[in-house]
Amino acid sequence: MHLVVNGKERDVSPAPVESLAETLRTRLHLTGTKVSCARGECGSCTVLLDGRAVYSCLTITNACEGAAVTTIEGLAGAGELHPVQRAFIDHDAVQCGFCTPGQVMAAVALLTATPVPDESEIRRAMSGNLCRCGTYPRIAQAIRVVSGQAGAP
Amino acid sequence: MTVDQTRRFVTTTVEVEGREETKVVEIPDRELRPWDADERLEIVGKPVPRVDARDKVSGAAVYTSDRWAAGLLHVALVRSTIPRGRATAIDLDAARRMPGVVDAITFSDLPKAGKPIRAGGVRFLDPEITYAGQPLACICAESAAQAGAAARAVRITCEPAPFAITAAVATAENAPAVRAKGGNISRSSPMVCARGDTDGGLAEAEVVVRARYTTSSALHSAMEPHGAVAEWHGDHLTIHEGTQGVFAVRDEVSAALGIPRSRVRVVMEHMGGGFGAKNHAGAHTYAAAILARRTGRPVRCVLGRAGEQSDTGHRAPATIDVTLGARRDGRLTAIAATALVDQGISGWEASTARIFHELYACPNVRTTETFAYTNLQAMAAFRGPGHTEGAFALERAMDELARRLGMDPLELRRRNHADHDQEKSRPYSAGSLARCLEEGARRFGWAERRSRSNDAGRGKTMTHKGESGDNFPAGGDPHPHPRWRRGFGLAAQIWPAGGGPPAYATVRIHPDGSVDVLTGTQDLGTGARTILAQVAAEALGARLADVRVILGDTERTPYTGNSWGSMTTPSVAPAVRMAAEEAREHLIEAASEILGVGVEELTVRDGMIVPCTGADPVPIAEITAQLGDVTIMGNGSRGPNPRGVGLMTFGAQFAEVEVDTWTGVVRVVRLTAVHDVGRVLNPLLARSQLEGGIIQGIGLALFEERVIDERLGLPLNTGLHEYKIPTMADMPEIDATCLDTVDTVANPVGARGLAEPPIIPTAPAIANAVVDALGGVPLNDLPLTPWRVLAALGT
Repeated sequence: MHLVVNGKERDVSPAPVESLAETLRTRLHLTGTKVSCARGECGSCTVLLDGRAVYSCLTITNACEGAAVTTIEGLAGAGELHPVQRAFIDHDAVQCGFCTPGQVMAAVALLTATPVPDESEIRRAMSGNLCRCGTYPRIAQAIRVVSGQAGAP
Repeated sequence: MTVDQTRRFVTTTVEVEGREETKVVEIPDRELRPWDADERLEIVGKPVPRVDARDKVSGAAVYTSDRWAAGLLHVALVRSTIPRGRATAIDLDAARRMPGVVDAITFSDLPKAGKPIRAGGVRFLDPEITYAGQPLACICAESAAQAGAAARAVRITCEPAPFAITAAVATAENAPAVRAKGGNISRSSPMVCARGDTDGGLAEAEVVVRARYTTSSALHSAMEPHGAVAEWHGDHLTIHEGTQGVFAVRDEVSAALGIPRSRVRVVMEHMGGGFGAKNHAGAHTYAAAILARRTGRPVRCVLGRAGEQSDTGHRAPATIDVTLGARRDGRLTAIAATALVDQGISGWEASTARIFHELYACPNVRTTETFAYTNLQAMAAFRGPGHTEGAFALERAMDELARRLGMDPLELRRRNHADHDQEKSRPYSAGSLARCLEEGARRFGWAERRSRSNDAGRGKTMTHKGESGDNFPAGGDPHPHPRWRRGFGLAAQIWPAGGGPPAYATVRIHPDGSVDVLTGTQDLGTGARTILAQVAAEALGARLADVRVILGDTERTPYTGNSWGSMTTPSVAPAVRMAAEEAREHLIEAASEILGVGVEELTVRDGMIVPCTGADPVPIAEITAQLGDVTIMGNGSRGPNPRGVGLMTFGAQFAEVEVDTWTGVVRVVRLTAVHDVGRVLNPLLARSQLEGGIIQGIGLALFEERVIDERLGLPLNTGLHEYKIPTMADMPEIDATCLDTVDTVANPVGARGLAEPPIIPTAPAIANAVVDALGGVPLNDLPLTPWRVLAALGT
């Protein structure tokens, strides 16, 4: 079958019920997408599917024929950073970093749909992405900064 | 630091997770002058971003579960589904015939040499079953999905046996034998620790409070599950593992497989959190190493979420009976506590009692602790083990005492302030709980808190927008409707975090002027890599951007211990500083030769060799380029701790909560934390550590509780949906800060540990606020779930 991953045409032959997370990680070696629970509880595997945030562990690759998939590796050009990635660095919205790719993708999806989200919108959009280190206050701050609602850390 | 310069090796004590260990350590050749409060530091103490943040936000950081190698095989563990008994037959035939299966092993296939391999407190793949989730077989296949499918085809015949899944059942008369050998309590139980005359102190008391407090079994729930990738090259084994201790894993694997330590290399580059659960080699490590040897291929074993939640350790729940005696003026005359701790199938004795001896001034203290074994996964250290559970009981009891005395809870704590280490009659190296309490109270507005009570809000109009669940307010004003009740609480913390030897570091400068720091510690997400780069850059005079820190490799970095007990910063940073200072001296000597200027006339700053003659500064890279392959190196080691002082951290937290008395739901509105951990090496990262501890503390206070089916002895919530950890929607406004004091006594860098202290007072501060909101209705069991709150309200 056929996917457009990070802007590149990719042909893959997934098993019948293979998850998109597994396809990305094992067939395309895009290991920036993390798997932590493998059943849609934590959000670590969040990617953009035609611009919308999805849990790739619950997305069946075979159901994505022709779809555009954006992973953390494809969010910005080579050697560049998306403003959300930049803000995550500046505001220390990263500790162990394992949930971070999923958090970044969820934040990008939020800001694409809602360029200036209020507090409730941030909390609702991001509460499907768990972080055990406790970076939530920093992630919220990074989102506020990118959406022009806050300044320095 | 005072050291005996006449001897190279001395015996010293080091505190690890509240335990004291005696070690022989080497005194470094070089003595570092402590960076005192007036030291002009240009990189240390600055809020620089994490050096590995770019890799982490771009997906470039490689974790154990991302490691790939040609021919990589995958392992799935087959686990017991009963808590006690014996696997009498394990039929692997069907599994072996499944697609992609390469190998499968049980206990009888393990190497016979030496002692049995132990993992998670039991013999690896032991057919004697002592908890549900215990590994019984390993299936190795071409893909993780194939291994998982084949694992489900394994048929195990079991003879079940009676079990005990609570400490109360395990310690009752005629309790079933939890383990094949040894009793149901630890050998040292009951552990009694006393000073003064507690009975006399209680007789002298004018007010006595007594209550029982319980804490839950909490699961570490790191986002990256435990995992290892093992590969053999001849007789040499390499293991990539997301571990808090590469050297511990090396030593354990070497002993288990009967191969020399020098033939085992353990590497950890990035890991997805640890929190205490990843201090040792586990079933996944042994499975990967053994199957890699059998198959001759690299093997990866990464646990699934259910395995992670049911077989990698837990915070041992405690039942603590507390008695406090006090004078009418609030001064404590006696503290007594009796604790029963539910370890699970094994674990070390993390003292829940010690904080009763440390936190407040009291001449008469007596504690008794019993550590019981139960048919559940083993205890593992979990951020602030023991102290966190003890703090909940002690600080709840202190608030009950304040209520009985009609005294402000802050005032009660002031009156019982401990200004020295009472157990050992010695001063603290630095730091003070009193300052944390006062500064926290000021930032929180403790004295004015009642202006934010619901009564104060009455008459105002408030709009809650959206349906329940759509509205996730942070902070916010009190709701005027009597359905919601605001409350305010505080709690304090003490924790040993002085670190200690041994820890080593090497610094080398490349011909291009860039600097490598090599040290065998681990960055769990704490920021160790960043603060060590800052210390090296500062001590060497290099630019931070030119420093690379290489961690966690038993073969290629010098020894440091596990990243536990808030030890990494105070243990490793002094060694890194020493290595960098030696490298700087050598660099100056080389520059002196090349530039023809005396060494005393040269300094190094911001990547430049600076002559004090006023001549133009010369970049380090110019000197090293001229040196070519003549390499500037420096070595450093951590000297012993100072004698006769206690190396402690202190902190106080203040919580404002709102309780919905109709649903029992508790929302933390805001939380103020002030901790004293010595010098703050990086305030940006320090705040993250504080917030992280507080947020885990919110989980402990409100949500987190491993639930066991008492009839079947099986864990019921082994997923992240059923086992609730805090989400962004649960966040209060958090004001977390460190008093930036400098501890020139503890070590030459001036910093003590920071990771564990912030979780310790959070749950009691929140619980005290909930009790305050409900007008004194006692809530003594964690977590404060809606049904517990409603039960306390009698609804």
